Amino acid sequence: MISALHAALPLKRLIRRSMSAGFTLLGITLVVFLATNALPGDVGRRILGPFADERAVAALNRELGTDRPLAEQYIRWLGRVLQGDLGESLARRQPVGEVLWPALLQSGRLALVILLISVPIGVGLGLAAALRRDSVLDYLFLIGTAVTTVLPEFATGILVILAFAIWIPLLPVSATAPPESTIGEQIRYLVLPSLPIALVLIGYLGRIMRASTIEILDAAFVRAAALRGIPSWLVLVRHVLPAALPPVIAVLANQLGYLLGGLVAIEVLFNYPGLGSLLLTAARQKDFPVLQAGALVIGLTYYLANTTGDWLFRRLDPRQQHRFAGS
Amino acid sequence: MEVHWGHHERVKLHPVVEHLLDEYRAGRLSRRDFLRRAAVFGTAPSVAAALLAACSGTTPSPTPTSGPVEQTAPTPTAEQAIPTMSSPSPQARAIPVLRAAILMPAGRIHPVTVADEGGLCVLGQVGEYLCWSDRDLMLRPMLAERWEGSADARVWTFSLRSGVRFHDGRPMTVRDVAATFQRLADPNVGSNALSAYRGILTPEGVQIVDERTIRFELERPFSNFPYLVSSDTYNAVIMPEDLGDNYENTFIGTGPFRLKEYQPRVKVVFVRNPDYWGRPAGPDEIELRFYEDESARLLAFQGREVDVIARVTSLGAESLASVPDAAFIDFSSATHLQVHMRTDMEPFADRRVRQALALCLDRVGVVEGILLGKGDLGNDHPFAPVYPSTDRSVPQRQQDLEKARRLLEEAGYGGLSVKLVSWRGIEIPDLAAVLQQNARQVGIQLELELTDAGTYYGKAVFGESPWLDSVLGITDYGHRGSPDTYLRASLRSDGVWNAAHFRNEQYDRLVDEYAAAVDLQRQRQIARQIQELLLEETPLIIPFFNRFITAVRKGLQGIEPTAIGHLRLAEAQMV
Repeated sequence: MISALHAALPLKRLIRRSMSAGFTLLGITLVVFLATNALPGDVGRRILGPFADERAVAALNRELGTDRPLAEQYIRWLGRVLQGDLGESLARRQPVGEVLWPALLQSGRLALVILLISVPIGVGLGLAAALRRDSVLDYLFLIGTAVTTVLPEFATGILVILAFAIWIPLLPVSATAPPESTIGEQIRYLVLPSLPIALVLIGYLGRIMRASTIEILDAAFVRAAALRGIPSWLVLVRHVLPAALPPVIAVLANQLGYLLGGLVAIEVLFNYPGLGSLLLTAARQKDFPVLQAGALVIGLTYYLANTTGDWLFRRLDPRQQHRFAGS
Repeated sequence: MEVHWGHHERVKLHPVVEHLLDEYRAGRLSRRDFLRRAAVFGTAPSVAAALLAACSGTTPSPTPTSGPVEQTAPTPTAEQAIPTMSSPSPQARAIPVLRAAILMPAGRIHPVTVADEGGLCVLGQVGEYLCWSDRDLMLRPMLAERWEGSADARVWTFSLRSGVRFHDGRPMTVRDVAATFQRLADPNVGSNALSAYRGILTPEGVQIVDERTIRFELERPFSNFPYLVSSDTYNAVIMPEDLGDNYENTFIGTGPFRLKEYQPRVKVVFVRNPDYWGRPAGPDEIELRFYEDESARLLAFQGREVDVIARVTSLGAESLASVPDAAFIDFSSATHLQVHMRTDMEPFADRRVRQALALCLDRVGVVEGILLGKGDLGNDHPFAPVYPSTDRSVPQRQQDLEKARRLLEEAGYGGLSVKLVSWRGIEIPDLAAVLQQNARQVGIQLELELTDAGTYYGKAVFGESPWLDSVLGITDYGHRGSPDTYLRASLRSDGVWNAAHFRNEQYDRLVDEYAAAVDLQRQRQIARQIQELLLEETPLIIPFFNRFITAVRKGLQGIEPTAIGHLRLAEAQMV
């Protein structure tokens, strides 16, 4: 990361980053593979359960190829992946893509609704709190976000269901909209499951936005702009916002992988067939082709989000541009 | 003996049933036990009831069949043979869609490999068995019209129902039935039923007699065999001979519903099968929604997104108790936890130490505290109160700390420390904690090591499994229609799940005698000896047997769950 930031040419930097990302992903698959296989028991046993006959387990392992040496299994898997084939799920016995893509799409939808709710509110509240620093509003903001960021999502999840689906039956309990529903209807189904995560994220983003805005407001170039008589709203839009946003973007970029693959508690509670619960089940069943593909997708998301984040970071922050131009 | 009834029907009874009838007359069998046992030997419930009525002199209402027939057991008509709990009520309203919350199927659903509650629940909507084992452990004819065991319980003959078709229109033949059981008993197929058939049925033992008759020649006598081809062995749904790998594409079967739509990890929707051989299903459509988590199921029920929860825990039932339109179906099962003590290793090699630990446990407190009263007390043997052969007069073991201390002292233990291993799930952590507290009172320190299920069971073979190798552990056993599997696999010298490493020649002999005993009175005598032997030897602590609880919307009737995890919705109606 650090060396990449200091590289002079964007293209060269991109190539170097892609290569290192490639190696990182390869490393991830190896770690996931070894970790999955370090779990006791074998795949056939996990699928058929502890009380199945040993001979049936052996037959199933033979059929799945999970009786082969570990190195052979990994190399065979890697060979297929390099040709663009993610293999077959051991527990579901269908191509990994058919299992993974629907889950990823679901998780993507949920992440999008969460972002749509939390980014504008978080950024707006953080900005407002910074501009009214030390006011009642600011204190309320600080206390409120301190509370929401530590709320465990499964607890808030149950609470919002009870409040908005059972006591006041406004919204559906389960998050899965019927397949033929409109976009508006789909969003309606996703509001409740988004809320618990959005609350945490709003607090998180808001506090970062507040801190970074306060820092910028104190910076020399902002005070200089104000002194030059530029209207305060223009100072805000032109100078403060672009300079205050990069830390928020960096945090968001880091959260994206989590939003896609880490919302297990929410997915389980709202019965939403997303990536998180898919990977958890795959881990339990030692279904390594699914786990590997999931890890690759999440790793890739981290890489893309961070690369995009860095790019935005540099575009927005004049200090960063200056630094790169001068280096 | 021949019983005459109706106008011109004569029924020749199976010798076992005849004997049962004598026992009933002598007052040694209850009506319910007579019915259950007669069913195992292929006597249809309606006929058995008629026999009892004949005994007590009231007018029987026999099965109407046309023409004079002589047979070992009469033929029930289709209507009677469908597992029914209630006949349709005249006020019943039609149910366009019935939604039920069930456990998320663990993986691909395939009749041969399904090994989880969610998967078998789905399978049970479309597939049918030779016979159905209901929640009272009564066997009812399904795809077999009748069956009969040889006097030594070694050969079993099943007569198949005619006019049964698979969902694709092909008739069900004796070859389909034979192929189904040959597949399940084949060690080279990854069959989940293999452990049930181990030592009992091989593919060669499945024989076609004629177009409508199939015979099972067993490796050893087994008087409870019909349970093994019933819904108790949930993999034993009758499937076409050419059953392929991609079962989820068709969900073929002979049942009252057939596939409309399957969304893996979300739900499956079935519609009424218009060509069903029996009474057509009540609901037009059923939707089984998959849930990983109990709180999600409870919330969905409260939010009226589902009207049935296939299974709720005692705690879940408690939390639904305040919901005004929630009702419960609640019955005893043989589901239980076993605390095993290694009888071949210190400190439990001494029987007195095992007895001491068993005497520490406050069972009543466990049932009240952990199961909220939704359980039957266990007496450290697998004979659950629900089994007809269980001798309920064997005294119940109760907490006796004084005696426990004395036994430990006699065994030469002032105090001792043991590791208790198991996995974190269902009631296990709670039971482990209570046992730990109770044991401390007599100077036994238990160190708990709870992992995930996969870690605890490991490879599930001796030497590679914390379950089978640990000195002290807790294992969860699902319901079985007869106690044979528990008795053999988890306690016999050669048992594959014998975590206690219990080796007792007398016990082994008794268990073989139990399996070969065809009449209930004899079974009960042997059961008593086994129960007493296990209480004395105490290789296991069995603190309780769970009750099985299903939650339904008030007014919904005719829903039939089993303790295995089936959920029959075909008879559902709203009144």
